[in-house]
Amino acid sequence: MDRMDDKLDALWVEYRQACPDPDPAPDFMPRLWRQIEKRRNGNARVFRRLAQVCVMATVALTLLMGAVLIPRIQAEAFFAGTYAEELAAEHINADYTDFLTAGDQR
Amino acid sequence: MLVDFELIERARSGDDSAFNQVVQAYRKRILGTIARLIGRPEDVEDVGQEVFLRLYFSLDQLRTAEVFEPWLYRLTVNAAYDYLRRQKRRPESRMSDVSEQQVMYADAVAGSKVRDEEERRTKIRELAQSLLGKVSEEDRVLLVLKEVEGRTLKELGQIYKVNENALKVRLFRARQRVLKALQAEEAAGNPAATAGANADASSEDEAAEENTAGESSGGAG
Repeated sequence: MDRMDDKLDALWVEYRQACPDPDPAPDFMPRLWRQIEKRRNGNARVFRRLAQVCVMATVALTLLMGAVLIPRIQAEAFFAGTYAEELAAEHINADYTDFLTAGDQR
Repeated sequence: MLVDFELIERARSGDDSAFNQVVQAYRKRILGTIARLIGRPEDVEDVGQEVFLRLYFSLDQLRTAEVFEPWLYRLTVNAAYDYLRRQKRRPESRMSDVSEQQVMYADAVAGSKVRDEEERRTKIRELAQSLLGKVSEEDRVLLVLKEVEGRTLKELGQIYKVNENALKVRLFRARQRVLKALQAEEAAGNPAATAGANADASSEDEAAEENTAGESSGGAG
């Protein structure tokens, strides 16, 4: 096994020599910068698209609220009458209560 | 370190010219490591580009300039894994590329002495690649970094961010598997394995070539 170990170690050394560090191609750096720019632009495009989607969703939500939700909320208003009518209605109830309580005292 | 910390700090803070200098300092070494990790010269540049591309977009995550080299090697190892996994999924293209590679080498060398030396190197590369193909991609990368690149266990621990003892165990098992494969190659009479790593390999290679030629002509007949 030691023989095989030595053989394997020698093979690794020879493999190292058989695969020397290659010289980079002349266009290595320009190609790298082109790819960087491409990915940068790609990222910017994604963010721009995301921003567009967000703006469109906000506009759609605003329109929905304006067209559907606000009229519905207004229709369901609790005080439908004027201030004077509401005051009169309260007085009628108060008189009736006074009348009932006065009857009891008698 | 091939560059000083200050240059890495500048590159980290977004200085493109500093990044350019860092790439220029490391690219040859990284391309060499990739060549030995993947074993296919025609794809080395592409994987190298991917490494430096990943470096550019992840440099801001680097904690300190002191850990730059292990960080760069981790990116290299990850890119090599990704490449090897992709290649595993399409083995048929690999076979065709090997013959293309041999043709490329044959075309490149002119003189007979140079050709002999190149043939010997090609055989060594093929044998090493075949042995490394017997273990998983992870073990293959680990073995190359340790045995071929000569990285220490401490450096590997920094690259992989794991315990050195765990690496030792994994390396031992991977080496045992490769040793078994080497024995099998030798038993099968692979000329590169029997001659492998001997100084007088060329004469044995010639004999082996004659044998191979005889076998192939016999097979054809």
